[in-house]
Amino acid sequence: MKLTRSFRTRLFVGFLLASLLPLLLCSAMLLQIFRLQMNAQADSESNAQLDHVITTLDSLYDGFRQTSQALKANPYIAPSLARGQTDSAMVYSELYSATEGSRANAQFDLYDQAGIWRYSTKSLPLYPQLPTQWGTLYAARQTDGLAFAQVDGGESSSAPLFQAAAKLTTSDGQVAGYLVITMTRSNFHQLLDGTYSSQNDLLLLNQYWRPVYSSLSSLSGTLAPLLREKLLAGEPLYGEGDEYAYGTALQEEMGLYAVLQRPQALNQSTRGLLTTVTAGSALVCVGISILMGLRLSRQMFYPIERLHSAIGEVAHNNLDVYVPPYRDDELGQLAQRFNGMLVALKHNQEQLVENQRELNQAQIRMLQAQLNPHFLCNTLDTMKWISKINQVPQVALMSTNLADILRFCISPEEFVPLHREVEILQRYMEIQKIRLSSTFSFQAEIPPELESCLVPKMILQPIVENAILHGLEGVEDGHILVQAEKVGSCLLKIIVTDNGKGLPADMTGAYAHRSRELSRGHLGLYNVDTILRKYYGEDFGLYLSTGSGGRGAVVSATLPLRWEEEPEC
Amino acid sequence: MVKQRVRGLLCLAVTCSLLLAGCTASRPVPATSAYAPPEEQRLVVYTSHKEEVYQPIIKEFEARTGIWVELVAGGTNELLERLTQEADSPKADVMFGGGVDSLEAYGDCFTPYFCKDWQQLTPSMRSESGLWTPFSALPVVLIYNATLVSPDRITAWHDLFSPAWQGRIAFCDPSISGSSFTGLVTLLSAMGGNQDKTLMDFAVSLDGRQLSSSGDVLTSVANGTDLVGITLEETALKRVEAGDDIALVYPKDGTSCVPDGCAIVKDAPHWKNAQQFLDFISGQDVQQRMETEFSRRPIRSLPQEETVLLPLSDIPLLDYDISWASEHHNGILMSWAFYFGGEEQP
Repeated sequence: MKLTRSFRTRLFVGFLLASLLPLLLCSAMLLQIFRLQMNAQADSESNAQLDHVITTLDSLYDGFRQTSQALKANPYIAPSLARGQTDSAMVYSELYSATEGSRANAQFDLYDQAGIWRYSTKSLPLYPQLPTQWGTLYAARQTDGLAFAQVDGGESSSAPLFQAAAKLTTSDGQVAGYLVITMTRSNFHQLLDGTYSSQNDLLLLNQYWRPVYSSLSSLSGTLAPLLREKLLAGEPLYGEGDEYAYGTALQEEMGLYAVLQRPQALNQSTRGLLTTVTAGSALVCVGISILMGLRLSRQMFYPIERLHSAIGEVAHNNLDVYVPPYRDDELGQLAQRFNGMLVALKHNQEQLVENQRELNQAQIRMLQAQLNPHFLCNTLDTMKWISKINQVPQVALMSTNLADILRFCISPEEFVPLHREVEILQRYMEIQKIRLSSTFSFQAEIPPELESCLVPKMILQPIVENAILHGLEGVEDGHILVQAEKVGSCLLKIIVTDNGKGLPADMTGAYAHRSRELSRGHLGLYNVDTILRKYYGEDFGLYLSTGSGGRGAVVSATLPLRWEEEPEC
Repeated sequence: MVKQRVRGLLCLAVTCSLLLAGCTASRPVPATSAYAPPEEQRLVVYTSHKEEVYQPIIKEFEARTGIWVELVAGGTNELLERLTQEADSPKADVMFGGGVDSLEAYGDCFTPYFCKDWQQLTPSMRSESGLWTPFSALPVVLIYNATLVSPDRITAWHDLFSPAWQGRIAFCDPSISGSSFTGLVTLLSAMGGNQDKTLMDFAVSLDGRQLSSSGDVLTSVANGTDLVGITLEETALKRVEAGDDIALVYPKDGTSCVPDGCAIVKDAPHWKNAQQFLDFISGQDVQQRMETEFSRRPIRSLPQEETVLLPLSDIPLLDYDISWASEHHNGILMSWAFYFGGEEQP
């Protein structure tokens, strides 16, 4: 399971990276491009509007300058003010003609040298008297041109906001009076309205960045000090996250700064919207990544898991496994290959077993074939010998038995009933009795129920022959006993007992695993043992022991108890 | 393995956020710094004056000198404390406002300067050490409600101890208001004798009532909550002009006339401009303007004779020792707190 998780995590992380990274990069870049373009556009618009404002102010200044120059140059006005005349029609007419172009924009007043009002383009003066040691008139005395000053006029639309003043001198250079130009809020409003677009606001500041006029009266009190503070602190007027952006331009002669407040192109709500969209997309990406990760890992992991368990089965020698290839993809092909490999493996194994069996059978047949000529040679030799020396009738008997044995040997069956084996053994013993002059006796004790059980052909004869040749040689009253008994429910034990010389000590025990070389002279036992093991497996074979009382040998053969036409036990 | 991956992811996240941050911060905001004045055309002023007083002065100063003034407005004590804290690297150039006794008390923050017209300043109101430059003379006066109190009932400081006024005297907490402290010290000087007794008696007269703002003194007397009060001439005249129902009394047993002042901060970054500022506010034009527009008594001789104010020579004055008052500032306040509240030990 741990494997699955790590695999899934890796897939998930991979998907996440592959989807989220481009998304975020893309969003950031789009945002950036979007903002740059909007800002550039807003900047250029704002600059155009500011240009318009400054042009308007320029022409306003030109009007003021021309008026002041005309009045200064006028030969009547200064002397009239110096004389303290208050109601000269000549002065009024000159004042009106000099202010012709600018009268709509401001109020023009003439004050005498003591700062007392004398003439005006309006019916009433804004200030009946102005201090000469303070403010505009003081400033006007210090310059030959126009002096400008901001005025705190109040909140009303007729409140004076801005003053310009110029001194009027008599021909001998004495100050005779002052021209004072006053602009009210409504003057500025009339003048500047329309020079900037309606969603923007305009703020006019004097040369020390103190508010003169603003299109929204609240801006003067709040925004202007803030902007001034930022300017003095050397900070930018607005930051990226601020609600408004500010453009500035300067009308130099009047020392008026125009500050245009415009809503930021990319304001908080747009930003929020973009962020939400990006976050939403990112969430979708995460979701899809999880789903894809799960799905793909499942698609990959299940076939792998099936293959895994199939390989486990094979490791436990079960070749009857089949992995169904669900899809026609790489993993499906892998499963198909695996199945094909299993089929080939199984075929190979079966082939191997078949080969082995064929080999064993060939070996057995060869062993059996080896017995026949051996025995025949001996018997014929004996017959020849007896008939030559003794002229006795036993030859007939011997040849009859020999014929029976030969028929038995060449019969095609590999397994024969036990009673038949014993019968052939008796024929063989009869021959041997004649051969060896009956110096021994032979007895077979087979329980009737075991008489029909199947044993490999010719396994008793070599044992008995071994007993006669090696055990009973030169022994009086030799006796050979063949017994059969059932061991447990499915084993047959055939015991050949003799009372001969016994076995050498190194030959007792299980006969198995002795090489053919060591069995020299006991080839019969070797063959029988080999036959038993080849037929029934390594657990079966011959067992040699010494007889009771230390005399003679006991050779027992253990083999599965089998009956004709019956399944193996 | 897992750690490595986590570290890798972290790196990636950091890179992404840096990238995003970089994107958002990359656009420079158009520079308006070209409009900002150079350092030598700046002046930082800490002021405790009201806006209506400092605004025209600052405006005129800017127009005449071309120096940009940065203002920090606040209470006298607050600003003086701030100056003490900033003593190592002063931000302010000038402290404008506050009684000269307060400025004297924080003398360590300031550097002496004799303004251009020092010779023309009223001798009793100039600093011999030049530590501060006076701005306006502010006599302490008694006020009464013109409707509820007849003029002859209160003429001098000792009239305040009459049982008729007990609990009806408008007096601001001297630990809050500098002018109230000056008033209290003036009262002590005028009464003479045992200070502790005077304080105790005055506390009894107040009957446990103090106001928390010096402006409340006038309001309280004008609306009849209190009958008499102690305040500054300038404030009272302003209210009379505005139509409040109050009248002024210059106590016949003498009063003090402590000016408020202006001083250059020690190691001020723009000390040259600060000197110009001091010359300006003590100059004839400003003093004249203050008198005519704000009923602020000038601290120098002015050529113009006509004045709305009672000539200073007609006001009975005490010998008010500014340095004694500033030296004993804390002691007097603690004694007062003891007698007034009866809780704190003197």
